[in-house]
Amino acid sequence: MMDTLKYSDILQLNKELKATITGKPFKVAILSNVIVSTLKEPLEYLLRKNGLNPEIEIGNFDNIVQDSVVHATSDLVIVFYELLNIGDGISGYVEAVDEQRLRGLEEKLLNETDLIIQNLSRTPKVVFNLFSSLAFETGYTGRGNLPELQERLNHHLQSKTEKNLVLLNIDRVVAEVGIREAYDYRFYASSKAPYTLSFYKWYLSAIEPEIRKMSGKSKKALLLDCDNTLWKGVIGEDGLDGIDMSSSSHSGKPFHDVQHILKYLASNGVILALTSKNNLKDVEDVFLNHPDMVLKPEDIVIWKVNWTDKATNIRDIAQELNIGLDSLVFVDDSDFEINLVKDQLPEVEVFQVPKSAYLYKNEFIRMYRTHFNLAVSEEDRNKTRQYKEQFQRESVKQQFGTTEDYIRSLGIHVKLTSDDHKNVARIAQLTQKTNQFNLTTRRYSELEMEGFITNPRYHVFSGSVSDTYGDSGITLLAVIAPMDETSKQARIDTFLMSCRIIGRNIEHAVLGEILRHLKEKGYESVRSEYIPTPKNDQVRLFYEQNGFDLIEDVNESKQYRLNLNTYDSVWPTFLTLETHYTV
Amino acid sequence: MSINYKDRIFTVMATVFEVPLETLNEESSIDTIDTWDSMKHLTLILALEEEFGITIPDEEVGGLVTYKLIDVTIHEQLGH
Repeated sequence: MMDTLKYSDILQLNKELKATITGKPFKVAILSNVIVSTLKEPLEYLLRKNGLNPEIEIGNFDNIVQDSVVHATSDLVIVFYELLNIGDGISGYVEAVDEQRLRGLEEKLLNETDLIIQNLSRTPKVVFNLFSSLAFETGYTGRGNLPELQERLNHHLQSKTEKNLVLLNIDRVVAEVGIREAYDYRFYASSKAPYTLSFYKWYLSAIEPEIRKMSGKSKKALLLDCDNTLWKGVIGEDGLDGIDMSSSSHSGKPFHDVQHILKYLASNGVILALTSKNNLKDVEDVFLNHPDMVLKPEDIVIWKVNWTDKATNIRDIAQELNIGLDSLVFVDDSDFEINLVKDQLPEVEVFQVPKSAYLYKNEFIRMYRTHFNLAVSEEDRNKTRQYKEQFQRESVKQQFGTTEDYIRSLGIHVKLTSDDHKNVARIAQLTQKTNQFNLTTRRYSELEMEGFITNPRYHVFSGSVSDTYGDSGITLLAVIAPMDETSKQARIDTFLMSCRIIGRNIEHAVLGEILRHLKEKGYESVRSEYIPTPKNDQVRLFYEQNGFDLIEDVNESKQYRLNLNTYDSVWPTFLTLETHYTV
Repeated sequence: MSINYKDRIFTVMATVFEVPLETLNEESSIDTIDTWDSMKHLTLILALEEEFGITIPDEEVGGLVTYKLIDVTIHEQLGH
């Protein structure tokens, strides 16, 4: 959390991180009608902390509309459109302004707001602060021109449907700090810089979840201790009647509430696992037979209820789920366990249950809002079920002699669709979240993906895989781009598969089908590339394995070429395929 | 004037102006530090206020352009 760091520490840490973060610049523009230059370095630090290499530009003072044209190609645009400076601009005292002038002002603001949002409609993400009147002395009772104007403007903003638009409730940020601590009228008077450091620190905490979404650093799973984490008390000592998570008891209520939050998270795509030092039978007994349990056995994907140390259990969980340690948040009440995990697995985020239980609920909410990107699609909501199916598959796997026998027994059916408009949210999300089986790791927003789908020169293939155990949902994606305007050469811009379906040779079959289709459409050759990242080593030789010729190998990427004229795809016998192509 | 804040002030200045600590001395000022512009000046004031838990009066903010003036003002604000 940024709000606990000193400003000079942030500056120093930012400088230290600068040397370690490289890669494609992540372009941010801050457009504002007040001076917010103090935000620049702390924001740089926040971006670097999330693995992004920032290139931040501050727009010209009070020139938001024109700047929204200039900076539309940024990856992220933040808009501070402050009533403070507008109100001061039209009159010394806005409450004294007559209705006609006020209406004119409102008209102008609405038009400008529309223009700004329209100009930025192709920017991957726009964080637009809601209008605020907190900087004015509006009193505590009665109505006023400014608060009413603010309400109408915000109502207008909230009616916007642009998918790239994030409205940030700046009043809540000011409230966290306190009005008197959020504004510095001294610097507003001398240099139009109204905000304090405290404000900026909270503001960064407020946008951090959005940054995480863009950097693909959102967490995926919560690893939960049981005693004094899911309920008050120790099951092994206090017994079924001695532990408490009742909504009607003072000491049980916080645990009851947190269980409700966990239930909500599980139904929105967050994976829940248990890491508890207990006898499995005791914990199962609680889940099955305690009348106050909100969580049910089916909400938990993995049960590591044993006497093994938690670091080992956590490593096992990461491996079984096939996700990185940095996708995990560990929740426990014990200093010992929290410090053990911090020490042995620094990539894992930890959350310690507060000693004062009445703080538990709110701190837990704040934690999950910072780290998790909740489901936007049906796909995510089904994830818990899908992960469970994966485990059933894993256990059957062990009975077969060879992997091939096993794969054949699954009855795998692949459904491949081109330019699937209605699932664009899920398709874009796949590019954001997939790290391991991902040849180029290019992250695309919903808007960019929509662009590929509607562009006739691009082909977006997405697909799902089903077998005797269930349907994976949309879990594979290929984006095929034209090499240039005229040639008959295509380029595989993106090829990825969710880790849920890896390990069944589906990748070769899908690539083969796409190449066959491209050949049928008259393409003569295909270019492709592999861009190494710390996580995608498993696909290092993917194109070699599929008959592509390596034509260039420099540090940053490997380039391949395949001649389609001499290519003949061999369809594997172990699966069936269904295609839905629009062209 | 018994309390010496010199090192803390130098540390803040070095961080804000992005210069090595050892290049700063009691004669350092806006004339000797190239990166000291109006934006950095604002940053410096904010960082010093946070470091020492003080609020520098509006009328003094603009004038704090040498190490010596900063040192004097901080001592004044802390009531020494």
